[in-house]
Amino acid sequence: MSIKTSWKVRLRHLLPFYRRNAVSFTIGFLLLSATAFTTASIPYVMKMAIDTLAGQSDHEQLKNFALTLIALAMLNAYMRVKARTHIFGIGRKVEYELRKDYHSKLLELDSPFFDNERTGDLVARGNNDITAVRMFIGPGFLQITNTIMAYAVTIPIMIGLDHMLTLIILAPFPLALVAARYLTKALYHLSRKVADQFGEMSSFVQESVAGVAVIRSHAQDSNWRDRFGVESQKLYKAHRSHAKLQGLFSPLVILSGGTGSLTLLYYGGQEVASGALTIGDFVAFSGYLAALVWPTVGLGWIFTVMQRGLAALERVGRILDTAPFLEESILKTEQPTTRKKLLGDIKINQLSFCFKKDGEEKTVLNNINMDIPKGSFIGLVGRVGSGKSVLLNCLARLYPTEKGSISIDGLELMEIPETQLRANLIMAPQESFLFSATIAQNIQIGVKSDQRPEDAWQAAEQAVFSDEIKTFPEQLDTIVGERGITLSGGQRQRTALARALAVDPPILLLDDIFSSVDATTEAKILTNLRDVAKGRTIIMVCHRVAALYSADHIYLLDQGEIKNQGSHKQLLETSDLYQNLYSNMAKEEALEALK
Amino acid sequence: MKPAVMSETEETKYGSFLDIDLFSRFFKYAKPYKGWITIAILLLPVSTMAQMAQPLLIKQAVDQHLIPSNLDGFWLLALFFAGLVVMQFFISYLQSIINTMLGQRVVRDIRRDLFSKLTAMDAQFFATNASGRLTNRITNDTEAVSNMVSAGLINLVADILLLFGIAISMAILSPKLSLIAMISLPLILLGTVLITKRMRVVQRQSRVIQAKMAGHLTEQVDGHEVLRLFNCQEQNRNEFNQMNQEYFSTVIKSNFLEAFQFSFVETASVVVVAMLFWYGAGLTPEDGVTVGVMVAFIDYLRRIFSPIRDLSGKFTTMQAAMTALERIFDLLDTPASITSPAKPQLPDRPAASSSHIQFRNLDFDYGKGPVLKNINCQINSGERIAVVGPTGAGKTSLIKLLNRTYDPKHGSIEINGLSVDRYPLEHLRRMVGMVQQETFLFAGTIFENISLHDKKFSQEQIIQAAKDSGAATFIEKLPKQYDSILTERGSNLSAGERQLIGITRMFAFKPEILVMDEATSSVDTISEGLIQNALLQLQKDRTSIIIAHRLSTILNADRILVFAHGEIVEAGSHSELIEKGGIYAKLYALQFNSIQ
Repeated sequence: MSIKTSWKVRLRHLLPFYRRNAVSFTIGFLLLSATAFTTASIPYVMKMAIDTLAGQSDHEQLKNFALTLIALAMLNAYMRVKARTHIFGIGRKVEYELRKDYHSKLLELDSPFFDNERTGDLVARGNNDITAVRMFIGPGFLQITNTIMAYAVTIPIMIGLDHMLTLIILAPFPLALVAARYLTKALYHLSRKVADQFGEMSSFVQESVAGVAVIRSHAQDSNWRDRFGVESQKLYKAHRSHAKLQGLFSPLVILSGGTGSLTLLYYGGQEVASGALTIGDFVAFSGYLAALVWPTVGLGWIFTVMQRGLAALERVGRILDTAPFLEESILKTEQPTTRKKLLGDIKINQLSFCFKKDGEEKTVLNNINMDIPKGSFIGLVGRVGSGKSVLLNCLARLYPTEKGSISIDGLELMEIPETQLRANLIMAPQESFLFSATIAQNIQIGVKSDQRPEDAWQAAEQAVFSDEIKTFPEQLDTIVGERGITLSGGQRQRTALARALAVDPPILLLDDIFSSVDATTEAKILTNLRDVAKGRTIIMVCHRVAALYSADHIYLLDQGEIKNQGSHKQLLETSDLYQNLYSNMAKEEALEALK
Repeated sequence: MKPAVMSETEETKYGSFLDIDLFSRFFKYAKPYKGWITIAILLLPVSTMAQMAQPLLIKQAVDQHLIPSNLDGFWLLALFFAGLVVMQFFISYLQSIINTMLGQRVVRDIRRDLFSKLTAMDAQFFATNASGRLTNRITNDTEAVSNMVSAGLINLVADILLLFGIAISMAILSPKLSLIAMISLPLILLGTVLITKRMRVVQRQSRVIQAKMAGHLTEQVDGHEVLRLFNCQEQNRNEFNQMNQEYFSTVIKSNFLEAFQFSFVETASVVVVAMLFWYGAGLTPEDGVTVGVMVAFIDYLRRIFSPIRDLSGKFTTMQAAMTALERIFDLLDTPASITSPAKPQLPDRPAASSSHIQFRNLDFDYGKGPVLKNINCQINSGERIAVVGPTGAGKTSLIKLLNRTYDPKHGSIEINGLSVDRYPLEHLRRMVGMVQQETFLFAGTIFENISLHDKKFSQEQIIQAAKDSGAATFIEKLPKQYDSILTERGSNLSAGERQLIGITRMFAFKPEILVMDEATSSVDTISEGLIQNALLQLQKDRTSIIIAHRLSTILNADRILVFAHGEIVEAGSHSELIEKGGIYAKLYALQFNSIQ
C-alpha cells in the first residue's frame, strides 16, 4: 500500500472520531492547560516561602504560603485527575466504538474474505491493534499536550527569573529529546524482536506438545530438548540486546536531570552568592527542572506510541474498508416479503466458479446446469476435489455466483434478502464448527424465537443423537468445550446435523457430514430425513451406498464438471467412474462392517 | 447461543505475596549466577548513597556557600556533585542490565527444565492435561517469574533501602522536621497500597472480560460460516456489544483509579512540604533548621515519589510470580510414569535376523474399564500381521503398549525374549517404528519433517528414503522440493501425502519392527497406490503389525488378528480364516461376495 493511500485510510477512520469527540477533546485540552498553570505555580510559591524563611521578615507569613501550597496541590490534583480521566475516557470510547465497528464488519464479511485471512491475525487486529489506536488517541494526546503546555508555561516563568540560567540549564534538553527519541525507536524494534522470538518459542512449545507422540515414538526427546535449548537461548539473546538499550533509559533521565541540577548548582549557586538570584529562585529552578525532565523523555516515548497507533489504525482500517460481495440492502433489509416461505425449486444455469489466491485463478466449477424440483433428494458424488463442496457453498451463498446463475423459486439467489434465504435454506458444512456452549444452544443456534428443549430433543432424535445425549450427565446442557472438543467426531457431526434440522428449512444442503458416523447410523438418519419432512429439497454429498440408494437423482462431478447424471441404476450402467466409486465405497463399508 | 461462563480459572488467580518454600527452591536456579547477584547486592548501598548524598550536598552549598556568599571551595563541592551524577548514571545502568540478564537467564534455565520435563512425560499425562495449559507454564508463567527478578526482587530491596536512607538523612538533618515527614510517609505508603489493591481488582476484572472478548472473536472468525448460514449475526453482535460495554465501564473505573494514583503521591509530597513550612514558621535559629535543611527536605520529598510508586506495583509482580512459581514447581514435581529402567539390558541375539514378539497375559485399561483382556500371542520374525476389529476393540492400545507409550496393567510384552520395560527406552523406541493414523507434521521443511531434525541423517539419505517410499514423486513436483515449507499440521498436503511422509520417516529411521495404524480418512487414488507399494517395501525383512483399514493390506498379511471387546477372537491367514468359517469368514462372505 502506498504512503498516500495509507494516509487516506487513516484519516478516513480517524477524522470522524475527532469530529464526534471535538467537545470532549477541547474540555480535556483546557483542563490540561489549567493543570500546567497550577503545576508551575507550586515551585513559585515554594520560592516565596523559602525567600521568607531566608529573609528576616515575619515568619508567620510562612503559614499563609503553606496553606496556599496545600490549596494549589489539591486543585492541581483535582484538575489533573479530571483531565486524565477525561482524555483517557475519550481513548476508551474510541476503543469501544472501533471494536464495535470492527466486530460488526467481521459479521458482514463472507467466506472468500475469511479464506484469505488467518484467524490469529484477525483476532490480533481486534485486540492489540485497537488497543494501540486507543493509546494513540488517549495517552498520546495527553502526553503531547502535557509536554507542550509544560514548556509553554514553565519556560516563560524560568526566563522571567533568570534568562541566562534558563538557557544554560535547558541547553542539554534537545539532546535528551533526541536521545530519548532514538532510544524508543530502537527499543521498539528490539522489543518487536523479543516479541517475535517469544512467539517462535511459544509455537515451538505448542507444536512440540501437540506432536509429542511423534517425538516420543521416534525417540527424539533429547533432540527436541536440544532444539528447545537453542530456541530459549535465542530468546535470551533477544532480551539481552533489548536490555542493553532499555537499561539506558532511566540512567538517561538521571543524567539529564543530574546535569541540569549540576548546572543549576554551579552557575545558579554563583548567582545566588553574588546576590543576583535569591535562594528561593534557586529552589524554584530546581522544581521547574524536575517538572520538565519527564515530559521531555516522555515525548520520545510518545512518538513510538503514535507510530504504532497509526500503523494499527491502518491495519484495522483495511478490514473496515473491505466490502462483502453482497449488497448492503440484501444483507440488512427486513421487509414483509422476506418472511415469505420458499418452496425449494432450484435452477442452476451455466454456473462456473474460480478460486483466486495470490493472484492465481483456479477454475473449480465449470458450466454446471441443474434443474432440481422441490421436494427432491439429490445426491452429489465425485472424487476428492471434484467440486462438490464448492457447489454447495455457492448454493448456500457462502461464495458469490460470479458466472452463470442460481435461482430458487425463480428468484435470483444473489438478490434474495439474507433473512429470507437463511430461514429457508440451511447447509450443514463439512467442518462442523461448534461453539463453546451447551449442546442445546448449539443445536438451536438458528432458532430465532421460542427455543424449547423439546424441539432440541426432536432435532437430536432425527439426527440419531438423542440416545447418546441421554447418557451425558448434563444431557442437553452439556458444554461442548472449545470447538466441541469434548464430543467425538461423529457426535460433533450429528450435533451439526441436528442444528440444521432444528430450523426445519424447506431446503437442506448436506456436505460430507457423515464421515465419522458409522454406516448403520447414517442409514437411520437417511430414513428420518426422508420421512420427517416430505416436501423438503435435499442436496447431499454422498459417501456411502445407502445414500446413493436413497437419492432420487445423482450428479456425478469430475474436475468441476457434471460428468454424468441419473438414478443409481442408470449411472451404474452408463458410467465407469461411477462404477469405480461405487465399488470402492462398497468395499470400504464391507471392511468397516468387519471391524 | 451464549459463550460459556468464564470463571476465575487457575490462570487468573493470585497467590500470596511471599512464600518461603517456593522462594528457597527458586534460589537454586539463581545460584549459578552468584557472582552477578553479589555485584547487584554490592551496588545497592552505593546507589542508595549516591541518591542520598545529593540533597546533602545542596544543603551544604546553600548553608556554607550561597547564603554566606562564600565561594571558597565551592568548585570542589560542585565537582563532587558531578561525580555523584556520573556514578549514579553508571550504577543504575549496570543494575538494570544485571537485573534483566539475571531474570532472563534464570527463566531460560527454568524453561529448559520445564521443557525437558514435558518431553519426559508419558501419554497418560498429555491425555489428562490441556495442551494450552502446559504451553502456558513454559511461556507466560516463566515470564511472570522473570518480571519478579528483573523488576521486582532487587529493586524492591533498593526501594526500601532508599526510603530508609532518606528517612535517616532527614532524621540527622533535623529530627523535628523529619518527625512530620515520618508521620506522613506511612500514610502515603498505605494510601498507595490501598489504591493499588483496588486497582488490581478492577484490572483483573477487565482482563477477564478482555479474554472473553478475544475468545468470542476467535470463535466468531472460526465459525463465520455457521454464523452466516444460521443467520446469527444479530445475536452475536448483541452478545459482543454487551461484553464490550461491560469492558468499557470497567476500564473507565480503572481509569479514575489510575489517574488518582498518579496524582496522589505527588500531591501528598507537596502537602508534606507545606506542613514543613507551617512548622518552620514557629522555629527559631536555635532549632538548627537552616534554609539549606529546608531545601534538602524539599529535594528528599521529591525523591521518595518513585520508590513509593514502584513499591506498590511490586506487590502485584511478586504475587503473580509466586503463583506462577507454584504452578511451575507443581509441573516439575509431577513424576513421569514411564521411564528407562535403572539397569537397562539388551538381548543377545544374532544381528541381521528380524525380531519376534511375544504378548503374555496382557491386561490393560485407561482407568475406565478393561481395554485389553488377557492377550496371549506370538509374532514370529518377519511376520506380517494385520489387526482388524471394530472401533474401541483395543487395536490401537495394543500397538501403543509395544513402544511403551503406555505400560500394561498385567502381563508383559517381550521382544526377542526380553521384556520391553528392560530395554533402554530410547533403544526400544528406535527399534519399534510407528506410523500413526494421522501423521503429525511440524512447521518446517519436508526434509526436517522426515528427518525430525535428527542430525544423523544426511540430505542424500532423506532423499533416498523418499524415493524408496514413493513420496519423492509428489515432493519433487513442489517448487522447492525438499525445502518446501509445510504449514502447521501440514494443512498444505493432502491426507494421503501426509501419511506418505509418515511412512518415509520409517524408510529413514529403519526400525526393526514396523507398527502402523492405517489412515481411515479418504485418500486420493494416486496416494493410495503409493502407500500400498511403500508398505510392501517396508514389510520386507521386517516384523510388522498393521491395523488394517484397507482390503489389500489384509490380503497381504501373513496372519490376521481379529479383535473384539479387548480380546483376540480369531487369528490366522486369510484362507485359514475363510476355511475356519468364523466371524471373519461370515462377514467377508456377506459383504464381498455381494459386490464381486
